[in-house]
Amino acid sequence: MIGWSGMLASLFVDPTFVPGAMRSFLLLPLCLSISIVYKTIKCDRLKDVPAASFVLWLTIVCGMYMVGIGMWAAYLLFGAP
Amino acid sequence: MAGLLGLFLPGLGHWYIGRRGQGLVLIAVLTATFWGGVAIGGVRSTINSEKHRAWFAAQLLNGGHTLAVLAWQSQLPRRDPQTNLPLGRAVWPSDEIAMVYTGIAGLLNVLLILDVTGRAGERSPRAAPAIKSSPPEGGRS
Repeated sequence: MIGWSGMLASLFVDPTFVPGAMRSFLLLPLCLSISIVYKTIKCDRLKDVPAASFVLWLTIVCGMYMVGIGMWAAYLLFGAP
Repeated sequence: MAGLLGLFLPGLGHWYIGRRGQGLVLIAVLTATFWGGVAIGGVRSTINSEKHRAWFAAQLLNGGHTLAVLAWQSQLPRRDPQTNLPLGRAVWPSDEIAMVYTGIAGLLNVLLILDVTGRAGERSPRAAPAIKSSPPEGGRS
């Protein structure tokens, strides 16, 4: 019991430090969650969900990274506002 | 009823209306998203009703999960008794990532509640024709 509470405390009570490059990778599970939820309520058959979710996840992630790269390029070209 | 259950625990409404598989997937995914956010930001600073009101409103839509975090927060000491410094406060960007994860989980739950309310409403009209098709008593209306 003490082990469980200790593990929970270390998992949820203390915040996790997110280093620089790790930030962009945290987009992936969030997009996966959004795509699974959306496709779970859209698809009538549950077995269609994984493939449909994967396609939507890929679309969102590619779109978001392209927007990010575009904004980064605009920042490099025109500088800070 | 299904909408209320969905507000209490995201995904439970789908389970209640008979979509058991969908309900289990939704419960697992939204629970993982919310508590993943809490693991990043920590219990003390992920939900902050004073500093981030709009995000707090979105987080409240997680229902039971948010109430559990608020109850957990109230049990924890906020400051170190020796140094009087704040304990377990997340720093940027962990605090904002945690807020986004938990807030988006709440907004996704709105989608689920709207979906389950619509589906629960669809079930009644389907049952109605079956009742109408039965012959009236005595053979005449």
